[in-house]
Amino acid sequence: MSENSPAITISGLNKWFGDYQALKDVDLDVAHGERIVVCGPSGSGKSTLIRCVNSLEAHDSGTITVDGIEMTDARAVEAIRAEVGMVFQQFNLFPHLTILQNLTLGPIKARKLPKAEAEARAMAYLERVRIPDQAHKRPAELSGGQQQRVAIARSLCMEPKIMLFDEPTSALDPEMISEVLDVIVDLAEDGMTMIVVTHEMGFARRAADRMVFMDQGQIIETGTPEQFFTAPKSKRCQRFLSQILQH
Amino acid sequence: MTLRTPLICLALIALAGCTSTSGNWGWYVIDPTTPAGYNNIRFLLNGFGATILLSIIAAALSMTLGLIVALPGMSANRWIRLPSRIYIEFVRAIPLLPMLFWVFYGLPVVLKSFGISVSIDAFWGAIITLAISDSAFTAEIYRSGIQSINKGQTEAARTVGLTYPQTMRYVILPQAIKRILPPLANQFIYIVKMSAFASVIGMQELTRRANELVVTEYRPLEIYTLLILEYLVLVLIISFFVRWLERKMGADESK
Repeated sequence: MSENSPAITISGLNKWFGDYQALKDVDLDVAHGERIVVCGPSGSGKSTLIRCVNSLEAHDSGTITVDGIEMTDARAVEAIRAEVGMVFQQFNLFPHLTILQNLTLGPIKARKLPKAEAEARAMAYLERVRIPDQAHKRPAELSGGQQQRVAIARSLCMEPKIMLFDEPTSALDPEMISEVLDVIVDLAEDGMTMIVVTHEMGFARRAADRMVFMDQGQIIETGTPEQFFTAPKSKRCQRFLSQILQH
Repeated sequence: MTLRTPLICLALIALAGCTSTSGNWGWYVIDPTTPAGYNNIRFLLNGFGATILLSIIAAALSMTLGLIVALPGMSANRWIRLPSRIYIEFVRAIPLLPMLFWVFYGLPVVLKSFGISVSIDAFWGAIITLAISDSAFTAEIYRSGIQSINKGQTEAARTVGLTYPQTMRYVILPQAIKRILPPLANQFIYIVKMSAFASVIGMQELTRRANELVVTEYRPLEIYTLLILEYLVLVLIISFFVRWLERKMGADESK
């Protein structure tokens, strides 16, 4: 796992859902510490792409290598998942457990961490996402923004090297978006490698090292936020940006 | 409550029978104030033990078998799914009574041809039949309960490193159990009622005893009325338990 090799290497990735090709020959390298924002119209394959990175979707052809581990068999998938945290659009907290139990389940059951240690770690991350006072509540008692911050803390408790965010703010009421984005920006500034699928262009400008624009299962354009927002090269990208930046 | 109307009707019929002088009703056969009637009632009520024991063992086996059938039935791999599907479709298609005959009269012959010499008595014949027949339904209850849990829960569990058994045990089943238990308890009522079929292979349970008494006393109306009331009491007790369970689960869910 040398620091010189990329954190993630995706090459020639294809993914089909029945007759529908969701990803077409996708190539993408992500360096350690790099923050990538993936955007594009709905159905463009951006969620599918990051779901392939931790094998929530099995790809049909092409290779994915994460932190030097090539995704070949079930054991490799387990090893990769141990390095990759994921935050979902719908939070997916465990509703029958308290916030603290949500955070400690993985460390205790999968990492065999002693309970006290897992709880101390959980409290530290709850502190970091600024909701330590909610530790003993159930997810349903929290606001959407708080739930998503818990979901981020839950991922961080597994101490991943890479974080994937699948439209983390799309299910949130507008007034809660910034509290979640602030936490993600905070993580980015700490040097976490991350891929964020989002429509929040303000966030992309603030936090991204590189923009990836996808349409119809392909990567159409990549570039720095500066280039991307001021001088997009492709027509499709220009159209997309004009649509979402109008408002 | 909805039960009140049929209960009042039953009471009225019984009253009409008691007071009638036309001779259509002969409650004396089960009149507890006469020695003969008292003995008859005791004979009938003695079937409760067998009916309850039969139902409980059959239900326990059915729930275990159902889970064993249901889990591979949810696999993403169709070849693992297939045997479970076939079992459910096949078992569900067999009427209880023919299956009972087949198990009681036929299964020992089949086993003997494999060199296994066991005699299946009425009690175990009925239990095996009820358990197998019911397991197709309990399997479907498990499946629908487990599949009603959002796929995101499994995905989240996998991303925090849990294995499939851990995901089932700590994430999916604790949530699904609230949706599984009430229909499972309902299915128990079905087993209690279907246990009456055990009477035809000679099992001494409620219905068998009623039949035997009818043969000697020849008062089918009164005896079968009491028989129905016996099942009614049994089922009512279970349904009150089911209600209680549902309320408890419902309260849990809103927490």
